[in-house]
Amino acid sequence: MLTVSFSRAGVEVGGTFTDLVYVENGRIAVAKAPSTPQSPDQGAFNALIKGGVDIAGLGELAHGSTVATNAILERKGARVALIVTKGFRDLLLLQRHQRRRIYDLHYEKPEPVVRRRDTIEVEERLGPNGEIVTALNETDARKSILSVLGEREFDAVAICLLNSFVNPLHEESLVRIIEEMFPGMPTAPSHKVAQEFREYERASTTTLSAYVQPVVSRYLKRFEATLTEQAFDGAFSVMQSNGGRMPAAAMAENAISALFSGPAAGVVGAVRQAARSGHKNFITLDVGGTSTDVCLAPDGQPSLASVTEIGGLPVKTPVIDMATVGAGGGSLVWIDDGGMLRVGPESAGADPGPACYGRGGMAPTITDAHVVRGTMQAEAFLAGDMHLDVEKARRSFESLANQFGKSILEIADAAIQLAESNIARAIQRISTERGRDPRDYSLVAFGGAGPMHAVRVAEEIGLSSVIIPPFAGVLSALGLLVADYARYDALTDRQPLNSAAPEIVRKHFTALNDSIKSHFADHKIQQPDTFSYLLDMRYRGQAFEAPVSISESDLPNLSHEDLENLFRKAHEQLYSFAKPKGEAIEIVAYRAGGSLAPPAFPETSLNFDEAVETEIELFERGKTHKALLVSRAALKEKVIHGPILIDDGFATVFIPVGWSTRLDPSGNILIQKEV
Amino acid sequence: MALDPLEQAVIAQSLVAAAQEMGAKLIRSAHSPIVREAEDCSAALMTSDGSVVAQAELIPMQLGSITHTFRYCSERHELDSLEEGDFFITNDAYLGGQHIQDIFLFSPIFFQKQRIGFSATVVHHIDLGGGAPGLNPNATDIHSEGLIFPALKLNRDRDWVRGPWETFVRANVRMPDATLGDIDAQFAANAVGAERLIALANKYGSSKLAAAMSEMLDYSERRIRNALRAAPDGIFKGEDAIDDDGQGSGPIKVKASVTIAGDTMAIDFSGTSDQVNSNMNNPFASTVSAAVAAVKSVLTDPDIPFNDGCSRAISVKAPEGSILNPRYPAPVRARLLPSYRAFDAVMKALSKATPESVIATGTDTTTACCLSWLGPDGYDIYLEIFGGGYGAGPRNDGIDGADSPLSNCANIPVEATDMDHQFFRCIDYSFIKDSAGRGRMRGGLAFRKVYEILEDGVTFATYGDRFKIAADGIFGGHSGSTAQNQVIRGEETIDLPSKCQFSLRKGDRLIVQTAAGGGYGPPQERPNARTHRDIEDGLMAAE
Repeated sequence: MLTVSFSRAGVEVGGTFTDLVYVENGRIAVAKAPSTPQSPDQGAFNALIKGGVDIAGLGELAHGSTVATNAILERKGARVALIVTKGFRDLLLLQRHQRRRIYDLHYEKPEPVVRRRDTIEVEERLGPNGEIVTALNETDARKSILSVLGEREFDAVAICLLNSFVNPLHEESLVRIIEEMFPGMPTAPSHKVAQEFREYERASTTTLSAYVQPVVSRYLKRFEATLTEQAFDGAFSVMQSNGGRMPAAAMAENAISALFSGPAAGVVGAVRQAARSGHKNFITLDVGGTSTDVCLAPDGQPSLASVTEIGGLPVKTPVIDMATVGAGGGSLVWIDDGGMLRVGPESAGADPGPACYGRGGMAPTITDAHVVRGTMQAEAFLAGDMHLDVEKARRSFESLANQFGKSILEIADAAIQLAESNIARAIQRISTERGRDPRDYSLVAFGGAGPMHAVRVAEEIGLSSVIIPPFAGVLSALGLLVADYARYDALTDRQPLNSAAPEIVRKHFTALNDSIKSHFADHKIQQPDTFSYLLDMRYRGQAFEAPVSISESDLPNLSHEDLENLFRKAHEQLYSFAKPKGEAIEIVAYRAGGSLAPPAFPETSLNFDEAVETEIELFERGKTHKALLVSRAALKEKVIHGPILIDDGFATVFIPVGWSTRLDPSGNILIQKEV
Repeated sequence: MALDPLEQAVIAQSLVAAAQEMGAKLIRSAHSPIVREAEDCSAALMTSDGSVVAQAELIPMQLGSITHTFRYCSERHELDSLEEGDFFITNDAYLGGQHIQDIFLFSPIFFQKQRIGFSATVVHHIDLGGGAPGLNPNATDIHSEGLIFPALKLNRDRDWVRGPWETFVRANVRMPDATLGDIDAQFAANAVGAERLIALANKYGSSKLAAAMSEMLDYSERRIRNALRAAPDGIFKGEDAIDDDGQGSGPIKVKASVTIAGDTMAIDFSGTSDQVNSNMNNPFASTVSAAVAAVKSVLTDPDIPFNDGCSRAISVKAPEGSILNPRYPAPVRARLLPSYRAFDAVMKALSKATPESVIATGTDTTTACCLSWLGPDGYDIYLEIFGGGYGAGPRNDGIDGADSPLSNCANIPVEATDMDHQFFRCIDYSFIKDSAGRGRMRGGLAFRKVYEILEDGVTFATYGDRFKIAADGIFGGHSGSTAQNQVIRGEETIDLPSKCQFSLRKGDRLIVQTAAGGGYGPPQERPNARTHRDIEDGLMAAE
């Protein structure tokens, strides 16, 4: 059983820094250590030491890393063989017969992680209802397996047979055969990894899972060994792409669910912290150096997508559903050959970086535009640790200003507005375009440049409330500690929507629930306290399904008519139309999730430096404004009106005219549109 | 009205985003497998007089021709007579359309009672009646290919929603739920486009919006002219051919002469074969799209919003009565075959102008594979589109087993066809070893799909090409292997032609095999590592 731990630590490995949040005696400490990409655990332990964490006394350690992602992107995963149904050896290479960029004549398909020579065909075939069309020819299968596994060294074998999502019989037989032939060889049968139809996506997920599994379990074992050496006796958990945690032991069996844990942790950290101010619906805005991620979190729950991809390869696993746009602090501002002003997606990167960094960069970036406008002040940048060259920033915009016949200030201002408009469109993609009205939401901004753009972005999409959480620099690490324990499971069973459907829905959800509960029990976690249910439904004849959410309380009395109404509403929301009642509808997939909330997070007690207020000048929306540059402490117990810049240590918050701000007891900066 | 550079950029990007949103919604809500898997549809926002400003980039075959189609509607109906709820609908190949299956739906958009633009969607429908379910390879004229909507002006509330026109269409198509559902999806996508355009009008005012839309046309024109200026001047020629017309005569030649002069390009298809009696005629709108798609792929930056501004710099001409500009009532269903040869001929011409930007000839064929069966519950139609191997480029092998350049069909998962169709089963879907044209870079591999037929009375209908004339290699590269169709019936093997209809029996095995792509550069220059890897993976044989 999970104990309410005395002290807790979250360690998140990022590309550059490894972040730590440590909670002890109701006190919160943060620390950062340089990441060590060769062995990320080294950086994690460095961060723990730097934060003064007493590992032996730790009740709980939550961890997030990019080990799985890097293994795939850098092609450093396991040596995997794949077994498929005879006739379908080229499943991974044929893919979906499509190209991502239709006018790119020199296009190359994403490369799978299993080579063709390592793909084994076996004689067998199941029908769509699980019936055996051709029984597995075991003698022949053994021969084929031997011809590949006996020939070369492998770390794992993935198995993906047609229609095995309905009937796992043949995949199970192959697992047994491999166990007999090559004892100890790890296997990944597709029905255990992703029990869903569409063979290419399932095979891709299964092979990627087998590919990262050994790497991740090796990493976690090493991590645990070091913890044990240091007399750690608490619960060790790991973040998943879905925004929930799992005990490390469970992750060692399902490594593919860890792919995008970093961004997921950031979103969870931001949303949970923002929720302490009493708001319910959130849009998160994370503006980094090269790109911006946005995510919708109605009712405080980040939206999930049931499929994602990495390096162009599909992965059927629930992930936090984010839209990304190539606009960040380092994005280049340029003019194209048609004379249009452009921002990104090219970025100045870390080297040479923006012109104002004085490291040789000459091309103007969004960061330079802020320095020119005065919305980024040299003394406020990274607590004054880094010098910003205002003159270089101005000079970088000279040529653009001449070409457009505008002043440097005006062009810098226009560039920022254009970037903000791009970001606003990314939010519309996940809100308006999915039939959700963003005006019911609060914008939660983080990341190096998020708080700088948040208010104007909010204004563009019609929001009147913005929240800037504290711990902006370590929100992902915080997210690890506040994330639920979560497990998602799904199955495919196509059924017509008729009077028998509700019973079938209940039957499948009960089965999925049981499997989730036993997963929790197997890993000695308290049973989940919340369940969520989703049906993938469509009109008969459609190929894409609309996700239909079913609430836990509605499930027992759910009727045929309720299901029809829920589907029609979801379809209308997504596609702006629904067919008349009575049209043939079918249910395709059943998705359930179980989660357990962690013990409450202690109230933040922030240590404030002295309240500082400086008068500055800044240029925005075509006008020069007198404004104040203040520290977070200056907000204590009073309302301040824009224009104002808040130096928050890690980031700068910009609040324009027409908005006012105050500090909430939870430590959040709340910004409201003035009426 | 002079526009601020910022507002121009913001409005332009909003318009492109709106067109993309329309397209995405269309695909995901569609019934027709040709739309949802093949993305054979398009969506656009147009000016108030019907010039395309922003178009969803879904399928190259709809590139640059929507305005051409619209003109036939606007010539027949006074634009100023349009009211809220009115729409134009057309699929008439001889009134600016492509083929009968492509329904164009144009909805006027009003803001404060003033027409500020049109939203347009095009969808390839699964069945619009005609002589055979899904695909009628024996059509002798356009009337046997389906219902024709000749540039009609209708009203949604009056004629469509439970109205007479809906009733009429429902009674004349074989899968009314799918066809009507997809027309509804078109209306919905048009409404989304309208909503987004109205929001922009609200924010910026309608005159500023109109100015921004007009500047967008000029902007694309400037960019395409810059690209043309960067290419060498000259007259460049290329040709390719379709094997035959499916009725015993052929080859059917397509010739292109591409003149680049300064910042203009003129493409002339003079010398191209006359139109044919079978369904392989290319309505002129399709010829324009195919030619322009080749130019866009070879010469221009992918991020130029392709709109009517581009057409101002490129002119396309094809002799009337030729296969690229046929006269009524020639059937046009398999128009993609001549479209592809027009694409190939332009590509070959451009290879002489900019050799580093082109690719060798590929399969460049749409193979339509249609299996239909009248079962106890009505018609059951399976239709899948196959590409083949791409031509190789200067630094990359051709794509193995992918759809051809003018379209972008996804395959239908075998597990999906297993669920949906009980009268056949796909038992093999794999590459053809050694099929690719050798070269410094090899062509893309061909593939086959094999079907086991589970019922009597199944009809196979198809059109394809490159059974006789292979995809050429370029600059010393070899040509790819040709395509074939076969039926294995007991001990017997029946060879089928590229264009045919054939009755299948229970127990038959149908093999549909595509062609492969041509190579680029001499094979002896191929890097060893690539050769070895192909041999190890069993994709190519040793020399």
